Amino acid sequence: MWADGVGTVPIRSASAAALRAVNERYRFGFHEGELARLRAYYRREGREPTDVELAGLAQSWSEHCSYKSSRPILRAHFGALPKLPRVLGTGDAGVMAFEPGWAYALRIESHNHPSAVEPYGGAATGIGGILRDVLAVGGQPVALADPLFFGPPETPPGEIPAGVKSPRYLRGGVVAGVRDYGNRVGVPTVSGGIYYDPAYVVNPLVNVGCVGLLPRGRLQRNRARAAGDRLVLTGGRTGRDGLGGVAFASQELTSRSEEESRGAVQLGNPILKEPLIHACLDAYDRGLVRGVKDLGGGGLASASGELVHAGGFGSEIDLDRVPRREAGLAPWEIWISESQERMLLAVRPADLDRVLGIFGKHDVPAVDIGRVVAGDRERLSFAGRPAADLSLPFRIDPPPVRRPRRAPPRPPRSPPDRGPLPESPAALLQEMLLAPDSVSREPILRMYDHEVQGRTVVKPLHGRVTSPSHGDAAVIRPRRESPRGLAVTVAAQPWSCAIDPEGGARAVVEEAARNLYAVGARPDAFSDCLNFGNPEDPVVMGQLDRVVRGLAAGARALGVAIPSGNVSLYNGGLGRGIPPTPVLLAVGIVPDVGRAVTSDLKEEGDPLYLLGATSPNLGGSLYARRRGAVGPLPPTDPAALRRWGERLLAAIRHDEVRAAHDISDGGIAVTLGEMAFGGSVGFDVDLAATGLADPARALVAEGGSRIVVEVARDGEAGFRRRFRGLPAVRLGTVGGGPGLFHVGTRPVAELDVAATYARWRGG
Amino acid sequence: MPGTPVRAALLSIEGTNNDAELAVALRSVGARPEVVHLKQFEGRGIPRGERRHLDDFDLLLFPGGFSAGDSVRAGAILAARVRSSIGHELEEFVRSGRLVGGICNGFQTLTELGLLPGRPDGRLGPPTAALLANDSGHYECRPTFLRWDGGNFRPFAELPPGWVFLAPSGHAEGRIHLGNGETARTLEARGQILFRWVGPDGAPSPGYPWNPNGSPGDVAGLTNPTGTVFGLMPHPERADFADQAPDWSRRRGRPVGPGPGQRFFAEIVRDAVRRRAAVPGGRAAAR
Repeated sequence: MWADGVGTVPIRSASAAALRAVNERYRFGFHEGELARLRAYYRREGREPTDVELAGLAQSWSEHCSYKSSRPILRAHFGALPKLPRVLGTGDAGVMAFEPGWAYALRIESHNHPSAVEPYGGAATGIGGILRDVLAVGGQPVALADPLFFGPPETPPGEIPAGVKSPRYLRGGVVAGVRDYGNRVGVPTVSGGIYYDPAYVVNPLVNVGCVGLLPRGRLQRNRARAAGDRLVLTGGRTGRDGLGGVAFASQELTSRSEEESRGAVQLGNPILKEPLIHACLDAYDRGLVRGVKDLGGGGLASASGELVHAGGFGSEIDLDRVPRREAGLAPWEIWISESQERMLLAVRPADLDRVLGIFGKHDVPAVDIGRVVAGDRERLSFAGRPAADLSLPFRIDPPPVRRPRRAPPRPPRSPPDRGPLPESPAALLQEMLLAPDSVSREPILRMYDHEVQGRTVVKPLHGRVTSPSHGDAAVIRPRRESPRGLAVTVAAQPWSCAIDPEGGARAVVEEAARNLYAVGARPDAFSDCLNFGNPEDPVVMGQLDRVVRGLAAGARALGVAIPSGNVSLYNGGLGRGIPPTPVLLAVGIVPDVGRAVTSDLKEEGDPLYLLGATSPNLGGSLYARRRGAVGPLPPTDPAALRRWGERLLAAIRHDEVRAAHDISDGGIAVTLGEMAFGGSVGFDVDLAATGLADPARALVAEGGSRIVVEVARDGEAGFRRRFRGLPAVRLGTVGGGPGLFHVGTRPVAELDVAATYARWRGG
Repeated sequence: MPGTPVRAALLSIEGTNNDAELAVALRSVGARPEVVHLKQFEGRGIPRGERRHLDDFDLLLFPGGFSAGDSVRAGAILAARVRSSIGHELEEFVRSGRLVGGICNGFQTLTELGLLPGRPDGRLGPPTAALLANDSGHYECRPTFLRWDGGNFRPFAELPPGWVFLAPSGHAEGRIHLGNGETARTLEARGQILFRWVGPDGAPSPGYPWNPNGSPGDVAGLTNPTGTVFGLMPHPERADFADQAPDWSRRRGRPVGPGPGQRFFAEIVRDAVRRRAAVPGGRAAAR
């Protein structure tokens, strides 16, 4: 009955042990209960499954594709957020209103496991995948971001388990992968971050975010619209790379991941992606595409199944028509291969030739592989004979898994965290600025093309061209015709989330918002990447629940939308888990990019202000991490941040602000240090203004959601009026050679700006 | 400027990815740019309405990017495809005195075509120079400064030497290697140095990173013997507006108006208009 090359897998009368053996042999990754469900389905159907069917089912039932563990939690918290009218779409990427006639798209996702075994290819195809998500909603990619988490580069070889690659090697490979893919495809990498912790030695995290631009009329839907429409597969040829990638992503890493799963890592080709983007946009612009889906995890099986099922249809697909890179691919391999640079389009039969012509002009292969049909069956054929005949609701929608959750331990409340620190403020100032977590990211940023497309108005490095320093967010001007801009940043605080998942998540939201306010942007939308451990561990599920609750609460208080996101579970292995690591890609609206603010100090004599309430708590801070200390987190109050953040935007609009920089890792020591570096100028600051008695603690305390602002002298009176009744204190002034910290009249630490800058910058 | 706008073809194939900002820059100086896929010049399999002929244009530019993935050598595959498909038309275009320019990957391509440093007769030929890997061994995206010291570049005939401006660089292969016994000195003697890398204060011999690739003689761009074919590694099209500068926010007030790169393109477009007026029938044919 079945086509040559299609195997049947007898499961109807198989014992549990025999089912497990099948599962192992094909590396399907079905769980025990799912195997029983499969057996029951085929008993009802009165036949045995084909290997093509089982392979497809394994994709869509995987954690990676189905969100079966996380869905109930996401629904409970994100689902309860108010519906904001500026959210235009929540498909493969979120789509937000930008300005009349225009929208922007955003999404972040993980490519953790592939990057652990093959850092270069894993990171590159991570970029490739996130570009396709934005392309699948009609967006032209205009910015990339890459928050990365590794073990400390100085980890001694003896502390790296067998089968695990060294953090230094992983970092080098990942950065090169992001560089080569992003640069070649012509999308600027404008934001990101590198975070180090021993918890990421076994399982590094490679998250990649993308922002796209689209005229509102080009918004694409990720579902089929009408029976009879043709299914056109475009882009790269299909090969054996990336087989079983989603199953690989849905289990923990082992010492044998390298040998067993290297084949699950795809091969990227940015030089095919670049014209694929052009051709898709061209076809969208002419109104020729009725539904589109990118081929990522689960390959054609996931893309075609989700595309037609979301529209309430079935499909007929001839696997033999799929262009292949090599001979001898079995039909099930064609079905689930995760070969890169492919998109699936649904087009009217009458438009088929025009669509094929557009792709031909761009030298991008495009083939009609089947059609959308009425009903809910998925019928595949190969060499003219059937290869699969399945109910799509059964295949695509596995029941959610109610996993047990255990509430995380209560965050520590006592002893009170306020005594004097043992170190001298001068030593702490140097230590915080020169820690691997703080030093200049210039060596990496210079390898990423952050200028391509000519839209980057506030670059990832701020300040004088001779002394560039860190800022809080990049600003792009998507359209030359309009002064409106998008600020793009990322935020993560795994250490805070490890202490208190919910409070830590709120702190991540606040950090993202501060980064945006600091450049003069109103926080508009977040995309969240939730990197967690094994969901079969109730503690992990408890963490996930609290983190999502915290993110939702923060977003609600700030009025920010979360139109897209990604969940990555099973991070960890070899007995090591990761801390709960929610990562935000955050986008804000800058009404006029010409008013955007950078972090570098501008002019001697300008007053410096501290916005926000200081907390003495050091939990989760860079200082506490370096001492191996765990303590209570500083309190969060996103609603209060929003109140004074809005005032800051008004002050920026009225040209009262010359520089601004948020306080995060390393406290005010790092914030003021980086501001001085960028301007090559000193400052004079009274730490008593923080309200903390101990100057050492005042230097390294991070909490309380704060921003340091340089106010224009002629704008100070207006600025003070604007902040009356809000947490804003005068810290001191810009100017002089060194950076001087004192308490009252007593000097406590001095920063030699030029000398420390040279060490911070490296080289 | 009277008359129809200057028509500029921005040649693209897969991996050409700087065409958008180059088009914006040309539009900002009143030209009418069109991104043309090489296949539109070749014509095969392209609907009649989308076919193009080089003669339709006043100006031909090769934008930056990674054409064909920079396999073999940067620009080599695009050069081979151009040579085999529209090589003759391109030679005619150059010999007619119309400007042909390349930025970054486009410079690499023109070098591979043998048009830079080039021959006096304007013909294609085997390459006589190459753009090698940066001394740093990797991609470098950074602000750089260029100085015009005078030379044969026709659009700059009236521009006094000493103009220094900031244009960002972004490349992995930009170190010029000259063959045929040429040196930066011999090229300079013939006026074929377009720009040199200088320090932020305009000082010569700035060293890394202001010379981002280690090019001998700090050569950042070249012209051919007639001053009508040009190539440069940095990106004036990313310095086309004041708000593209890396340090605009250090000055008070909104960054408005053109950036230094716009002057570069304005002179090129002005030159194309002058040529059109000087040559009978010099107007790009209307098709």
